[in-house]
Amino acid sequence: MPDDVRRFILRKLKNAPAGTAPSRPPLPPLPVLSLNREELISLFTENLAEQTGMVYRAANAQDIKPHLAEIAAREQVKIMLAATDAVLAPLHLRAWGKTTGVEVLTAEDFPDRESYREAAFNRVQAGVTGADWGVAESGTICLLHDRDQPRLISIAPLLHIAVLPVERLVAVYEQVVQSVYADKNRLPAHFTFITGPSMTADIQGGPFKGMHGPRKLIVILVG
Amino acid sequence: MDVRTQEFAAAANRELKNERSRNFLGRLAPYFARSCAGAMKTFPDPAAAVACGRAIRADAVARLPDLLEQFAKNALACGAKIIWAKTAAQANEFILALAKEKGVRYVAKGKSMVTEEMGLNEYLKTNGIDAFETDLGEFIIQLLRRPPFHIVGPAINLPVEEIRDLFLAHGVIDEPTTDRIALGGAARRYLRDKFRRLDMAVTGVNMAAADTGAIFNVENEGNIRLCKSSPAIQVSVMSLEKVVPTMNDALHLLRLLCRHCTGQKLSSYVSIDCGPKKPGDADGPEELYILILDNGRSEIYRDVKAREALRCIRCGACLSVCPVYGKIGGYPYGWVYSGPMGQVLNPLLLGREQTRDLYFATTLCGACRDVCPAGVDHPRLFLHYREQQASSVRAQGLFFKAWGRLVKSGGRWHFAVRLLRPLINRFAANGVIRKMPGLMNGWFASRNLPALAHKTFHKQWKKQERQRDAGRR
Repeated sequence: MPDDVRRFILRKLKNAPAGTAPSRPPLPPLPVLSLNREELISLFTENLAEQTGMVYRAANAQDIKPHLAEIAAREQVKIMLAATDAVLAPLHLRAWGKTTGVEVLTAEDFPDRESYREAAFNRVQAGVTGADWGVAESGTICLLHDRDQPRLISIAPLLHIAVLPVERLVAVYEQVVQSVYADKNRLPAHFTFITGPSMTADIQGGPFKGMHGPRKLIVILVG
Repeated sequence: MDVRTQEFAAAANRELKNERSRNFLGRLAPYFARSCAGAMKTFPDPAAAVACGRAIRADAVARLPDLLEQFAKNALACGAKIIWAKTAAQANEFILALAKEKGVRYVAKGKSMVTEEMGLNEYLKTNGIDAFETDLGEFIIQLLRRPPFHIVGPAINLPVEEIRDLFLAHGVIDEPTTDRIALGGAARRYLRDKFRRLDMAVTGVNMAAADTGAIFNVENEGNIRLCKSSPAIQVSVMSLEKVVPTMNDALHLLRLLCRHCTGQKLSSYVSIDCGPKKPGDADGPEELYILILDNGRSEIYRDVKAREALRCIRCGACLSVCPVYGKIGGYPYGWVYSGPMGQVLNPLLLGREQTRDLYFATTLCGACRDVCPAGVDHPRLFLHYREQQASSVRAQGLFFKAWGRLVKSGGRWHFAVRLLRPLINRFAANGVIRKMPGLMNGWFASRNLPALAHKTFHKQWKKQERQRDAGRR
């Protein structure tokens, strides 16, 4: 029965008079592609700031934790939920948390989906993730969600801290998507572009952050 | 949603007297023009960027059947379940049956125009399943039971006091407040609990890429991301024209959509799905259903001119620049889609008959066409609908056939004019005709006609020439 509907709709579309596919002008050149590393960083920072996202610079991997400690103290973060992706795993945040008085949880700490969900929504004050890419053209970070990059960490808590190694910063979206979606057999189930915190302007057009997701987005740019 | 397109004239007259709305709308157009123009300037060549976007949508519409088939095949290969629905009723029935089968008590909704077109909320509600709109603006108008005032800000025109009273009445707040942040915070808390316990979410789709089977959602609030993260079942409804050829096409349309919608380079969140979560993932849907809805579009597609309306990507830019919308706001259009976008879409989806006012309530100035990043030529479509409507009225057809015969012959024309002049002048008073009984009266609703001279210009000229010649002699 459902297949009948599919055939009916497609047949009807195909039986319609054929349209002429217009010639496609090429994508206009994107000058951001010719920027050097420092220019990319400042464009990324500027664009993200436009959406009230903050960028901190860390000189190297050792420099990340002092930033985290400072943010946790200032934002009064007692419990944070952390991803276990390739950027964060080597940092051993759980051990670091014990020395700084911040409880660091990961999705694997929970026996079932329900308790993990409860914690993500109600218990933690911040979510920490690595970022798979940064895109300078709009000040966007990209997260490839999988077992090590659960979805709720970057959307349920009021604060999202993302750690972005500078070599992952590129100029335009196409550079990211072409590599992520190159292999048809390994497409990511969920991929997100994040450009600033959650916001709305639905009441009287006045902006307000943290409508459903984070009120603040902090990107720690490493390197 | 109730269709009130036939009440356009009365509602427009009412809204013209709504001072609050007029004030708000007066600020909207300049605000939009500034924010959109500012965002477009970030392209080195804005015109080329727009031309590229228009070509993508033209291409997508021209190759729609093949792209749709390719998209469905690829999405299926990713593990999504593809459901096809001919009508809104079929789509609604599917979602209800799924909700019942899974034993969910309620669903949460991401902002989606197509589910409003389907009337999904009302349908689920009458069948015992609550549906919560989670976008703040949609949440407000759902409580208010009104159509969207603007596609981007459905409740943006409402005074804070009205939202306060609404939230008090529905138990969203206990203490009255007119602080917008406090009101937004209350809605967050109210809906957060729904998200946390959510078993099934329904979202729309902004774009679907044929080359991968991926679906895109664009938002600022994060409610759609929560809909795609928290529950075990995700249903994403797309009207069938959402498909574009490639991922890169979708990316470029994203650039244009966000700039035209909210003046952002990119909205806070764009999420892309290929199938359900993988085993071992902590969250995300166990099952992803992509519901492809026709609801009359395959019929529209048979009309080569009208199908160009399917290019629309729902950015809402045409509303903000329209001189008619700018005076009356979104309510008079009487359905989900308002402004020029609604004037183009509603007649196709609801039929020309009950939407007649929509394609006549236009100055044909083309501001909508000029701003449209998808290349919809609104005025051309309005004229197309008028032509179709006119040729469907038999008496009108006969009249114009006779008219054609009359004006094609000089002799007949002059003869008819000689007969008509004195007849028309019978309605003149003090040299001006202000009204006329019968069919012609509508013409006089907003203008007068000076009484016709007793003799035509040609006759008077000839007479003068004769007199001058006589004088010379």
